[in-house]
Amino acid sequence: VSPGNGEAVPSDVGSAGPLTWLATFGLTTLLLVSLQKALWLVVPFLLAIVLYYILLPAVRSLSRAGMSHESAAAAVSGLFSVAAVLVLVPFSAWIVANSSSGEAAFWNYVENGKGLIGRLLSELEARFAFMAQWDLQSAFPRKASELGQRFVQEHVTDALIGAVAWVPSLLLAPFLAFFFLRDGRRFVNRLLRAVPNAFFERTLLLVDQVDTMARSYFQGLLYLTLIDTVCLGLGLAVLGIPNALGLALLAAVLAWIPIVGSIIGCIIVVLVTVADGAVGQGTVYAAIALFLLVRLLDDFVFVPLTIGRSLQMHPLVSVLLLFIGGAVAGVLGLIIVLPLAGVVMIIVDCVARILLDRRLMARHAFARRLRSMSANADLKA
Amino acid sequence: MSIRIRKDSRGPQGLAHVPTFSALDAKEHRVVAGLLHERRYEQGEVIFDEGEEAQALYFVISGKVLICRQGETETRRMAEIGPGRAFGELAILGGDRRSAQARAAQACVLQTLSRRDFDGLFESHKAIALKMTLQIARQLARQLREQTGVIPELPL
Repeated sequence: VSPGNGEAVPSDVGSAGPLTWLATFGLTTLLLVSLQKALWLVVPFLLAIVLYYILLPAVRSLSRAGMSHESAAAAVSGLFSVAAVLVLVPFSAWIVANSSSGEAAFWNYVENGKGLIGRLLSELEARFAFMAQWDLQSAFPRKASELGQRFVQEHVTDALIGAVAWVPSLLLAPFLAFFFLRDGRRFVNRLLRAVPNAFFERTLLLVDQVDTMARSYFQGLLYLTLIDTVCLGLGLAVLGIPNALGLALLAAVLAWIPIVGSIIGCIIVVLVTVADGAVGQGTVYAAIALFLLVRLLDDFVFVPLTIGRSLQMHPLVSVLLLFIGGAVAGVLGLIIVLPLAGVVMIIVDCVARILLDRRLMARHAFARRLRSMSANADLKA
Repeated sequence: MSIRIRKDSRGPQGLAHVPTFSALDAKEHRVVAGLLHERRYEQGEVIFDEGEEAQALYFVISGKVLICRQGETETRRMAEIGPGRAFGELAILGGDRRSAQARAAQACVLQTLSRRDFDGLFESHKAIALKMTLQIARQLARQLREQTGVIPELPL
């Protein structure tokens, strides 16, 4: 039963290889497919995780001040729920009160947007002869109307019905967040109790890495939203666009959807700007330039400083995962694929290291033999 | 020094004899008790190997633990740790790899505190972390004096 030959045992056995990467891609895709079947649960679960990381510092502060962890979790969750009700009830009333004019405003924005693109095409055709041959200016309004109507018929109705169906499940989010805050540690402890002794310290490392990654990602996402809101809000305010802060916040939240989110945010701001007749065409172009600038700052400065540190993923891998996420689970896939793949990558890497570590496996087998011998000690004939 | 421990079926037992926690009051004791994990080892079972990355420190509740060079349980024994004593703390405090192997000399019950939770105490409960660190430092100093026999004569 000698455990070794006297040499120290290195704990790191290789690093993530191609098989680990393949397993990460495969498992992430499988999870996305299965999660797609339970979207009503995934969305509140995701929101609950975000809430958990928002409220966790407050719970820790109260614990530091001498309150028990359970009481701190209950107090913070209760205060948040009251604040949410105080904000959401008047907001819902405002939505209901303005719902009749909302549809008219939507079509007004669409018409103004079409007008803007029509004017842009007209200018381009006047300046470039080859574009005049295509006659886009006259074809565009007809095509835009067809596409718009088809989009509304095919997607908007479904999206609205889906959103209404999801409202009850979204109420689960604060409820889930409360239990994450109160019982998260207890759940992890129960999980650790099931881990064999030989793998115990590796599992502690795994739990630490997953928590650190998820916390960094979601807190980074919130910081990024705050930074984007401030940058866009200041820029739009300087340009004299009304409701600058609200529009900036909307665009920053939409940017949670990689790639398409920023484009949708930009389009919404441009449409609102055009609909407000007080600003000129130059302001519209300046707003688009502002979005491009903030997008560049996001990609090269803000994202590496916030979210980038958490995932430590190669940009090529991130893009591949985004394609997979979008193809398998649509918009939600785009939002969750990166943090999901980050967690899967850590777990796969850790499990691979354990399975490939002959020493750990031998220790586990040895411990099992010892337990078997101990259990059978008084059963000899 | 006696420690009042709240009777709680969820809390770990046997911590009253662990000097590392002796300076904590009952409230602080409950905080630490919520962070500990109980592990049970059979006689001869390896707890950790020399050279491993350290993720936890251990407290012996019952039984004995042998600290030795990797695999040399007979020839290069370094220490035998009994109930109430802590081990594995050097690698946690220094952020190093394990400097020796730990094995259960007898069937034993241990309580473990993960490195993450120990570090977290410095953020969330500084007083607890400082009291525990002071006790660990005292224990290490005592061990050093016992092992070298030279230190007591030095004006340290």
